[in-house]
Amino acid sequence: MEHTTLSHHLLLAGMLFVIGLSGVLIRRNLLVVYMCLELMLTASTLALVAFSRFNNTMDGAIFVFFIITVAAAEVAVGLALIVALFRQRQTVSSEKLTTLCD
Amino acid sequence: MTFPMASTELALKLLAPRNADWASILPEISVAGLALLCLIQAMFLNKKLNWLIPTTARIGLGLVVLMSLIPFTPWNPCSGVATTTFSGLLQLSDVTCGFRLTFLISALLTSFIATKFLEERHAVVADYHHVVLVITAAFMLLAQSNHFVSLFVSLETAAVGLYILVGYLRKSDASLEAGVKYLVAGGLSSALLLMGIVLVYGSLGATTPDSLNFDQIAKALAAGHGTALTLTGVALILGGAAFKLGAFPFQTWIPDVYQGAPTPTTALLGTASKAAGAFTLFLLVTGPFQPLAPKLAPVLAITTILTLVAGNLAALAATDIKRIIALSGVSHAGFILAAITGILVAGENGDYDTNLLAYYLIAYTIGSFLVAQALISIPAAEDHRRPLLQLRGLIRRSPILAGGLGFGISSLAGVPPSIGFFAKLFILILLAKVKLWWVFGAVLLSVAVSIHYYFSIIREAVVRPSVGDEIIETIEVSATAKFVIGALSAATMIGGMLFFV
Repeated sequence: MEHTTLSHHLLLAGMLFVIGLSGVLIRRNLLVVYMCLELMLTASTLALVAFSRFNNTMDGAIFVFFIITVAAAEVAVGLALIVALFRQRQTVSSEKLTTLCD
Repeated sequence: MTFPMASTELALKLLAPRNADWASILPEISVAGLALLCLIQAMFLNKKLNWLIPTTARIGLGLVVLMSLIPFTPWNPCSGVATTTFSGLLQLSDVTCGFRLTFLISALLTSFIATKFLEERHAVVADYHHVVLVITAAFMLLAQSNHFVSLFVSLETAAVGLYILVGYLRKSDASLEAGVKYLVAGGLSSALLLMGIVLVYGSLGATTPDSLNFDQIAKALAAGHGTALTLTGVALILGGAAFKLGAFPFQTWIPDVYQGAPTPTTALLGTASKAAGAFTLFLLVTGPFQPLAPKLAPVLAITTILTLVAGNLAALAATDIKRIIALSGVSHAGFILAAITGILVAGENGDYDTNLLAYYLIAYTIGSFLVAQALISIPAAEDHRRPLLQLRGLIRRSPILAGGLGFGISSLAGVPPSIGFFAKLFILILLAKVKLWWVFGAVLLSVAVSIHYYFSIIREAVVRPSVGDEIIETIEVSATAKFVIGALSAATMIGGMLFFV
């Protein structure tokens, strides 16, 4: 613990965030895309906790609880939508989502 | 981190909400209570009495509108100064009271246009009303946020509700597809927004006691504590708000989602959600990020011009009515951005009407709902396929629908003396006052271009004769639809005439 500094935590959070972002942009499977979105939220949470710890302010640590609650609600609705889409179309690939066009 | 007992108790006492705090959000509490009432009614009411649910929601919302209009009350102080409540979590001012009204009006209109639409498609009416009311309460709180925790939580509450409403028709491919697309786009924008909040919080954390509070962020930035990390955070946060508003480069999700969503949801997305983005952006650039105004103003001006160009060009090429309306909404987002840029350049004590934004959005709401109501009343095999051809000969099939469409489109296009004309005029006057001539020119040009695609809709509905005999069947228009069209058409005219008197 002696040698971990704020920048170590931020580097990890930044890496997680970039992995999540590239996953959202590159992957075609909606479930994987959704997992990557959650990874981005987690990365933000990690950075928040690190800042909170190293700046000695508690607000960030408390904010994390709100984020976890919001993420849980979002997952409940998101997975329901993806499952409903799978039942209707038998696919969760974003390449097959072409009903809507001009 | 340990706290001595005595100081913890003292802190809790100081932070505890006072009675005046609760009174200041009475309209929000009423709307949330109304949402719960809808669910309770759905649980206990007999199937035959189901019509009571939308009726209760409408009467309740109407009462809340009247209530929030009463001046000199804790929730509408009319004092000319902003008061913070809940130890700095929320901030109430005359401007936010106008914002509140915008959300209430669009919720009320959504209830009016949604009920018959949902019944025809065998979807549950009570749940829809519940979610609409929850979203409205969340948006009303969002417009008063003075702290990033309240901003994030209310924004996300509304976003999750909107995911549900976009994918509400579970048997429809289009609705589900739009729902999933909105989910991914919305999730991405909230992840970026959250990262932005974290960066601002962290980079200013050592300089202020509470770096999530808007006032303290403004103070820290004014004192020059901002670093490159802070600026990155500010950019990400503004990007999140721009996504809600549908501004360039975050407008790509708009046409698909608006087209696939059930039409009442499209109207709600286009008005309440756009208004939420506009108000959030306004609160952020005039509140915590005010010290960065010299850096932000050029960025906003360029975004305005790009948004206007992107929206108008795409709308010119579209042939589906819902897509045209969606893409014209992008150009309306450009107008809103132009207004925000003007306000930012004019500065805190600038010579402008603070209700400019709320007025523009109310005008836009009235026009959008008129068009949505007219579209819903025109029978179509699929809700997401509404080509321009479908309108052919509308004036012979149903003069009242053609009239409603005409009033709505004219107001959106800004034809005098409709309310939309004055809303646009005020923005142009503001831009001229602050001498933003490039933005002024772009706005003027896009009004001219928008005439083309707006009037292609009217031309199809009014001028072109119908082909074949089978199309000339009159359309049955329900009493509610007639009421909505009549009331809103009158509102477009009366809202405009108010300025002649």
